Amino acid sequence: MGVKSIENTDRLYWLGRYSERVYTTLKLFGMSYDTMLEEGAGDYDAFCRSLEIPNIYESSNDFLEKYPFSEEDTNSIASNLRRAYDNAIELREEIGSETLAYIQLACYDMQSARVSKAPMIEFQKVIDNILAFWGIVDDLIEDENTRNIIKIGKRVERIDLYARLHAGHESMCREVRRLEGRIDRCNIHYKKGVITRLDELVQEETLNYPEILKEIEQILEV
Amino acid sequence: MKQSAFFNFSGKEGGQMKNIDLLKRTDTVNELLARYGVKFGIYKNNTFKEQLFPFDAIPRIIQRDEFTYLEKGLKQRVKALNLFLSDIYNEKRILKDNIIPEEFIYASSGYLAACENIHPPKDVFSHISGIDLVLGKDGNWYILEDNLRVPSGASYPMIARDLCRRSSPQTFHDYPIEDNRNYADILKHALDYVNTGGLSVVFTPGRYNAAYFEHSYLAERMKVPLVSSSDLVVENDHLYFIDYSGKREQVGAVYRRISDEYLDPMNFKEESVIGVPHIFDIYRKGNVALLNAPGNGIADDKGIYYFVPRMIRYYLGEEPILRNAPTYLPFYEDDMKYVLEHFDQLVLKDVAEAGGYGVVFGNTMTKEQKENFIELLKKEPRRFIAQEVIDFCDIDILDGDEIVPRKADLRAFVVSAEEPVVWKSGLTRFSRNPDSFIVNSSQGGGFKDTWVLSR
Repeated sequence: MGVKSIENTDRLYWLGRYSERVYTTLKLFGMSYDTMLEEGAGDYDAFCRSLEIPNIYESSNDFLEKYPFSEEDTNSIASNLRRAYDNAIELREEIGSETLAYIQLACYDMQSARVSKAPMIEFQKVIDNILAFWGIVDDLIEDENTRNIIKIGKRVERIDLYARLHAGHESMCREVRRLEGRIDRCNIHYKKGVITRLDELVQEETLNYPEILKEIEQILEV
Repeated sequence: MKQSAFFNFSGKEGGQMKNIDLLKRTDTVNELLARYGVKFGIYKNNTFKEQLFPFDAIPRIIQRDEFTYLEKGLKQRVKALNLFLSDIYNEKRILKDNIIPEEFIYASSGYLAACENIHPPKDVFSHISGIDLVLGKDGNWYILEDNLRVPSGASYPMIARDLCRRSSPQTFHDYPIEDNRNYADILKHALDYVNTGGLSVVFTPGRYNAAYFEHSYLAERMKVPLVSSSDLVVENDHLYFIDYSGKREQVGAVYRRISDEYLDPMNFKEESVIGVPHIFDIYRKGNVALLNAPGNGIADDKGIYYFVPRMIRYYLGEEPILRNAPTYLPFYEDDMKYVLEHFDQLVLKDVAEAGGYGVVFGNTMTKEQKENFIELLKKEPRRFIAQEVIDFCDIDILDGDEIVPRKADLRAFVVSAEEPVVWKSGLTRFSRNPDSFIVNSSQGGGFKDTWVLSR
């Protein structure tokens, strides 16, 4: 189409961020889920601390019910998926109905997981649909600018999450490199100094995660 | 012209229809509609909800000859309505010649004084007309109402056809059905035809509008930007789209899905935050086309409906091809007398309401309700019309595994550029409630595809 409004640029960026947030937190939750199945087992407090979300849960069971599904809890996976949907639904003419469909399908799968006795099976479908969404973004969206804004959102979110989760050197370096290779391929306004600083930070022997987080959070010019 | 409008399962053709592969795919089509988020918005208890629009796979079928007849009648009607709009906001010949009483114009909420002396680009007022019809049991089609402001609904049969073809290719191989997937092309042509220079855009009030799916889907299919008020600005007497870098690009045609009163806070409701300040001023100067033109509400006013056959005779010198439902205006003494005498046989409509609201059937009221209503009717006779309850044909729908009859109407879409074009399809809406005549989606109705046969 050629022309893009500031609102749609913002929506594309946040669609990338929220889709990544759902994907990574769902995978992380999947790893923790098994350890919390037995009454009293599992450390949900550590989970909350690692993601820097408030621990509002009363027990492992409460956590297992609310963290993935609660619509009132703004940090829940369902809330993040809802935000991805809220952005996607206003981008139909930008990304196309075929692309939007995968976010819609992920929402349906999340609803199925809520009533399922084996939610991990449905969560896998959510993950599959997020992966399919990213795949179709590459395959079907002709406009390079549109594609890249979504991907930049995804990369920024991944660096943010990895920093919170204290990922290793290799992962952090890889994600910063990916962002660096992408960010000049669209017309999004960003602070060039942040990329330079992130480059330096991930080279340090001891990773300074709070500093990485501080930098990544201010990458966009507002 | 008497018509056999659609195959019926009880008829000879029904036997053939029952074997159509598509009917076994209803669930598949509905799953695909859900996949693509084919929804409409509704407010319940002040909360916005998105709902799927239930699809029934049994199509309404219109024979080729029958469509030719409808097409002729619809073009005639829309031509007359366009001429009426041009006349009423300019020369007013129809008033001077006493064809329509002035009271029906100036007392109507659809009349916009601000539109006086405006000729929109190419003098097209109703670019997209949604004409609601029903088929009576007497075999005649009747016009129920004209929608010339912001008629919606074309996107649903458009996408449903796509999904039906995917779900049951055999059906579309076996039957000679006109392809209806050209609606976006017809619409885009209408935008381009009146474009005053620059981009064509779809202007939405936002995702919490009931028809937001349609706004976004039509923008996608026409490959034009979907914009909201914050994306547009009027500067130097022209309309501009502002992109993310602040660059301005001129806009020449706006398919606006926002009602007149919210279009421009400087000219209409000043509290509107979804409009574009001064857009109406530059429209008046001919620097942008607005589809449909502001002020069209005067022509689809339920009171004006009564006069459409007269308009056709007056402007075109032709007899109307399609009939109105027998209608009475309590404003006229004789009609008021008739309405009071035949109250139980009539349906009464508040001219200010739409979407199936403000419609009451005389025979369903309690004694007290009737007395109160008659009192109101006498006090505000201009506010209501009364119509004979047309005994319109039921149409078959699938209710689980059962086939049951339900009331249905047809919204035909007429898109006007050089000439009006009748889309070879339409939105067939049906009531899911066996006792109801109300087919609106907001009141629980579903929809069907409308097949126009090509031979």
